[in-house]
Amino acid sequence: MVSINYSAREVCCKIVYYGPGLSGKTTNLQYVHSKVPNNTRGDLISLATEADRTLYFDFLPINIGTINGFTAKFQLYTVPGQVYYNATRKLVLRGVDGIVFVADSQPEKMDENIESITNLEENLKEYGYDINNIPVVLQFNKRDLPGVLPVEELNARLNKCNWPTFEASASIGNGVFDTLKKIIKIVLDKAKSSSAPKIRSAPAASGPTPPPDVQAMSPEKSELVREPALPPSATGEVRSSTGKIIVTEAAYRPYPGSEKEAQREKKISSVALASSKDDELAAASLEKNVIAHDNKTEESPIRMHTPQMAPSLKRRGEGKKRGFFKRLFGIK
Amino acid sequence: MSDDSLIIYEEEIKQIEAILTRLLKGAEAKCALLVDKDGHMITRQGFTQSLDTTALGALLAGSFASTKEIARLVGEPEFSVLFHQGKKDHIHMSIVGERSILVVIFDDRTTIGMVRLYAKEASLELTKVFQEIQNNSKGGAGISDDFSEEAQDKLDDIFQD
Repeated sequence: MVSINYSAREVCCKIVYYGPGLSGKTTNLQYVHSKVPNNTRGDLISLATEADRTLYFDFLPINIGTINGFTAKFQLYTVPGQVYYNATRKLVLRGVDGIVFVADSQPEKMDENIESITNLEENLKEYGYDINNIPVVLQFNKRDLPGVLPVEELNARLNKCNWPTFEASASIGNGVFDTLKKIIKIVLDKAKSSSAPKIRSAPAASGPTPPPDVQAMSPEKSELVREPALPPSATGEVRSSTGKIIVTEAAYRPYPGSEKEAQREKKISSVALASSKDDELAAASLEKNVIAHDNKTEESPIRMHTPQMAPSLKRRGEGKKRGFFKRLFGIK
Repeated sequence: MSDDSLIIYEEEIKQIEAILTRLLKGAEAKCALLVDKDGHMITRQGFTQSLDTTALGALLAGSFASTKEIARLVGEPEFSVLFHQGKKDHIHMSIVGERSILVVIFDDRTTIGMVRLYAKEASLELTKVFQEIQNNSKGGAGISDDFSEEAQDKLDDIFQD
């Protein structure tokens, strides 16, 4: 599932390195991390045990820059290879776009490779994916070790679906980038082929011009966003919209807490929350707020909905207190 | 695979950001992030400049996923709210609809009760927006034809041994 964010102009893909324990999945990521330029990658995050065995996953984000106005981002994950970590291994597969299966080429590891591929198939099935339809690249790792199995044999026993294969020695970097490039290519080709053809004719690529699918949708969208001062061309509208979003984020209001009204709201709500039965009150106020939001105007959403909640809560809270003290001191 | 694609347009992101801004104002929190369960950051509001939001998104989604497994083991379908308490900063996570997580980072200037109240409210609104996104994306959309080729050219430049 390639995630496309038209507002942030991002295309994001999730690639998972799968395979048996100690086959070199983390080493693949470490090599990529060490070789790509700093401005292209984020930090390599490893959730590992004391002994540097992957416990949950390793994570390396890569940003290859802007293509057709969209930033292409890839999130590389590894799974824990050890058999008894299957619960966490399965979780990492959620939402995967492409899989690199890292097989260990040593003869004694063949059974583990087969077991891991079977496990991959089962785990994918639980998410509703079919291993035959999902992009997979097979990497035969540790080719630099002596006595490894010939590629033909590995291919015959592991390559179920005619996946592309690469020989690699992840520790010295051989074949690491080839594998990664291939899986990215297959993932992007797949995303392209699953798209609707008509609105995706090639754009006149010049600088930050957004792709045609955005242009196609922009006129009506920009009307909804209310940007009357935009130039008439669809391209201009989109660019302007993007600019506005950046401004929205940068010109975020000052740190909360300074506004009197906000403090008042907090005070009132705190009283309400403290005066027990807060769940009931909260539920009641939430219902009211939801209704209020449905009818809200765009100018001041906060002012519209907070007073809805505040007076009712305040009345109920204060009413209880007054009654209590009246009874306590016998005041009429 | 393309059936569950998440495609978010300008208009919807604006709606989402407006909801997050309201949440921040109401709860007086530091920042709010919306992450999908696969670990992709959808959008963020507030003071996030000093945060590595990409990594944060992946880790929060991972954290939520593992909690879901824990829930399953104890016979719950899902824990809908997660709270991490720190010395100064705290994190409140709550589920939004089927596939997203609303993350609010706050400090001692506000209370967990306030954050919980407003996050619950925001979740309801966000669920509606995501329902619309889900409906809209059924028309199908994707990347342009030459995206893959250009990406390969870029990768050739970047991935050099």
